[in-house]
Amino acid sequence: MKIISRSFLIILTILSLFPFYLMIVMSTHYNEDLFQGIPLLPGSYMFENFTTVLKSNFVQVYSNSLIVSIGSVVAGVLFSVLIGFAIAKYQFRFKKALNYFIVITMMVPTQVGLIGYITEMRVLGLGNTLWPIILIWFAFPFGAFFMTQFMRDTIPDEVIECARIDGCTEPRILFQIVFPIIKSGLVTLSILIFVWSWNNYLLPLITINDSRWYTIPVFISNLGIVHRTDYAARMAALTMTTIPLLIIFILGSKTFIKGVTAGAVKG
Amino acid sequence: MKKSGAGYSRKIQMWPYLFALPFVLSYLIFQLFPVGYSFFLSLFDWNGVSDREFIGLKNYSDLLFHDPLFWKSLRNTITIMMLAIPLTIGIGLLLAQLTFQLVKGKRFFQTAIFTPYITTPVAIGFIFSYMFDWQSGILNTILTKIGVLAEPYYWLQTPFTAQCIIALMFVWKNFGYFMTIYLAGMTAIPQDVYEAAKMDGSSSVNTFFKITLPLLKNISIFLIVTTIITGFQLFDEPKLLYGGWGANTIGGPDNAALTVIWKFVDNSFISDSRMGYGSAMAYMLFIFIVIFSLISYRVTSGKADK
Repeated sequence: MKIISRSFLIILTILSLFPFYLMIVMSTHYNEDLFQGIPLLPGSYMFENFTTVLKSNFVQVYSNSLIVSIGSVVAGVLFSVLIGFAIAKYQFRFKKALNYFIVITMMVPTQVGLIGYITEMRVLGLGNTLWPIILIWFAFPFGAFFMTQFMRDTIPDEVIECARIDGCTEPRILFQIVFPIIKSGLVTLSILIFVWSWNNYLLPLITINDSRWYTIPVFISNLGIVHRTDYAARMAALTMTTIPLLIIFILGSKTFIKGVTAGAVKG
Repeated sequence: MKKSGAGYSRKIQMWPYLFALPFVLSYLIFQLFPVGYSFFLSLFDWNGVSDREFIGLKNYSDLLFHDPLFWKSLRNTITIMMLAIPLTIGIGLLLAQLTFQLVKGKRFFQTAIFTPYITTPVAIGFIFSYMFDWQSGILNTILTKIGVLAEPYYWLQTPFTAQCIIALMFVWKNFGYFMTIYLAGMTAIPQDVYEAAKMDGSSSVNTFFKITLPLLKNISIFLIVTTIITGFQLFDEPKLLYGGWGANTIGGPDNAALTVIWKFVDNSFISDSRMGYGSAMAYMLFIFIVIFSLISYRVTSGKADK
């Protein structure tokens, strides 16, 4: 029994990591060689592939993606924390209504309003800029829900009371006292928003036509179709795209699983 | 919650409103307004540029009665989900159970298994289309070498296997996420329940089915309902498996990979720019999502009560 379950675990771990391995290995081969069979060992063409990628406007695209993801994380996390704090730790008239509001908004898929959103952005003069793919994260219902749950459970009321008696203003309570307590929640939500906005494909695909403002997913799916289909170069670009995410995730993984445990779902 | 006493002055009272304001305002401007505006647009014939022509509910009737491809895309989406969701739940639950009990290497396994979830869909799409390629794909190479197949099989060009591959992409991407959510639930179960079961001589399999599973009921409901909501919006995986590499083919073999959102995006932005029609499609999809998540909620929460 133990052997069976242990091997199941190991097989699934290999299956989880195998495509990454394949991606990195493929990025080290000459494109045309990829069609001859399965490369299981690294080749020697890595440098050339990476050069091909960097010769395109990959640096520009990479910084676009960084701007979008960092902007989304900052705004998305901040606004979620603010409303979460209000609902979790204050008594006020619309508390219950706001709580329902967040739960309902979580159920509405963004796609329903997609055409309206794009039309709105064009009218505001923001078509073909990075704004539409950042602004969509300003109100992120899952984040608000997550932070409300998280703060309700992790911040003792006494801490806030004490600070208030000491003459602390409300914003100072939030930023100086509450923030350190909810660190693991902040890390978890930041990782999630970063990953989701970094990988977002649909929205940039339909809002951005100007290759100057491409983000990585749209850029890669268009890479190298002009002269020849260079799969190896795409793999190199994908490797460069995925590795920062992996690093961020591995660094934050301990906090991440703890954060999900404390905030995401309470039976 | 308890009252916060007399110190709750008027000065403090205004803060919760101020804190809630940025979110609420952003939601109204960037989400609620577009949703309402989309409904308005769904009543028009509009290509996004020229003048709008009011046509009432014609977009909806066209969609429901004169567009068999819409129904097909809906069927495809549902088939893919039916293939994917039970498998993801099963694997996720099993993985959670297995890694939860680990003493050594717990974090390594949990992190490794979660990594597919953070991978760019573009990468997943390409890797899968490469693995299942009929000529140079790994699967065909292995299967022909060990003699299971006499000649390479067209995995990506056969409608049913195409749907299976998309389901597989979904399973591969999500089982780590499901595992993490289940782990969250398992941590919340008090350990003395297990000790009591052990004292009574319950086997570990028995404990799992009689104690762990029922206690995780709410988590399972949460996962099923939210996955149905996101599953109906399936787009990245099929699109990147087939049309993501510049070629503007849509739908895969016999349109078997065409999901509702893919059709929506194609009709509104890629092949065509029927904004009104697209909005109507988005609304119909929304209605189906509401219906299916209510049904799934009823079914999953009802069954466990007996």
